[in-house]
Amino acid sequence: MDHQFSRRKSIKLMAATAVSLLLPSLPVLAGSNTLLRNPISAKDHALPVIGMGTWRTFNVGSDPKLLDARTEVIRTFFELGGGLVDSSSMYGSAPDVMGYALQKLGIPDSLFSAEKVWSPAGGSAAEQVAELKKRWFIDRFDLVQVHNLTDWREHLAALQQMKADGKIGYVGITTSHGRRHQEVEQIMTSQDIDFVQLTYNITHREAEKRLLPLAKEKGIAVIANRPYDGGGLIKGIQRRVEPLPQWAIEECGCNNWADFLLKFIVSHPAITCTIPATTQVAHMRENMGAGSGPMPAATSRQRMQRFIETL
Amino acid sequence: MSVGVGYQLQQFIPFSSEVYLRLLERIGETFWPWHIVTLAMGVAAVLLALKNHGRATCLLTGLLWVVVGYGFFIQYYAELNWAGDYIGFAFIAQGALLLFVSFSGTGLAKTAPAKRPSVIFGLILTLIGLLGWPFIGLLTGNSSYQAAVFGIYADPTALTTLGLALIMLRGWPLWLSVIIPLLWLLVSSLTWWVLQTL
Repeated sequence: MDHQFSRRKSIKLMAATAVSLLLPSLPVLAGSNTLLRNPISAKDHALPVIGMGTWRTFNVGSDPKLLDARTEVIRTFFELGGGLVDSSSMYGSAPDVMGYALQKLGIPDSLFSAEKVWSPAGGSAAEQVAELKKRWFIDRFDLVQVHNLTDWREHLAALQQMKADGKIGYVGITTSHGRRHQEVEQIMTSQDIDFVQLTYNITHREAEKRLLPLAKEKGIAVIANRPYDGGGLIKGIQRRVEPLPQWAIEECGCNNWADFLLKFIVSHPAITCTIPATTQVAHMRENMGAGSGPMPAATSRQRMQRFIETL
Repeated sequence: MSVGVGYQLQQFIPFSSEVYLRLLERIGETFWPWHIVTLAMGVAAVLLALKNHGRATCLLTGLLWVVVGYGFFIQYYAELNWAGDYIGFAFIAQGALLLFVSFSGTGLAKTAPAKRPSVIFGLILTLIGLLGWPFIGLLTGNSSYQAAVFGIYADPTALTTLGLALIMLRGWPLWLSVIIPLLWLLVSSLTWWVLQTL
């Protein structure tokens, strides 16, 4: 991947960043088809608020039929302006599937490649990153995170050195399911990290108490994982409630339940992006739709929470 | 299921039911028509066990455990699950154990199996694993290529071997030879359970 920004791309990014900086805590408005972008770290880069996860959905092995099906999902993601794709050596063949898709589609300018080092995969952080680059068929990762804090001291030090050497773009840590938040807080406070990835959705808001304010204060970008709580959240709501309440359409710009759940997440002022995962092109279109149009204001977000709590 | 337990289980099952069923189907396509051969080997293994030819039974089943360890787990399952190689090696170790019993005769019953409860239970397990298992998938709507056959797929191989061990083995070789089949059946049950809940 060529990471030398072209002049045109730099101008576009700076403009997008400027807009995002001007409207950080207001209900953010974007053009009806334009994906909202949030600035990250040193404010030299902006990310579309809807990214893509690959946990379970992209682990299809060498199955030709499923490899092609997933390639269509990622083609749609990039056609609709997608940026961050998050994977891990823990996700079985998901990094290989990304490599397959990128070879078929070419590497889009908007790709923001995010990987993770994970101790059980074996080898040092540098060895794991080198191996993962080969699997993705790219020259450099934009972000490498320490997966679930495994051996984080050793891995984070190695990743920071790789960042200093220009071998990776940013460094981060991840957790999920609300686990080890105290340790995450300690790392956010004491270490120089660019990203933190954690579980945040309308039914799991523990991160609101300490981690999200801290991320905002320290300028750490936040990736929200499990936006649909592993799929159960959206499936459960779709089974129980039809149709979408009128106020959600009017106040929050929602067209479907994917909008409702994803807009709730990305409208939090500390959240940089969320990473829903899917195996279906139609669902990818829904997910990406949530990143544009009006976003819920603080009062509407509270109403959304109350509504979900009554279900 | 608590969040912690759910997370731990999910960590070992990083694929969806759609992908797992496709994997079973692809394995079926790849190995066909060896299904007929391994099934015949399974039937022969049961008949030999009932006629007190335990060495021959252990030879046949031991070889098939090595085949499943490599062909099912290391070659295919490991593509989806980082633990696949380790499970494959465990299956090969089980094959080595059965081959050891075959060559040494250690732990084999001295006389033909009597109508004891453990032998009858073993025979029931064997028949379910050998003949019943392939039809379960078919009855639940899977394709014929997904019909899980002894000697190619892990579940029926483990179940059938468990039954055979109860029929023909005694003492510590019996206890040792049921550990890996039981553990795999537990892992497999949890896998299907988690896949249903996704």
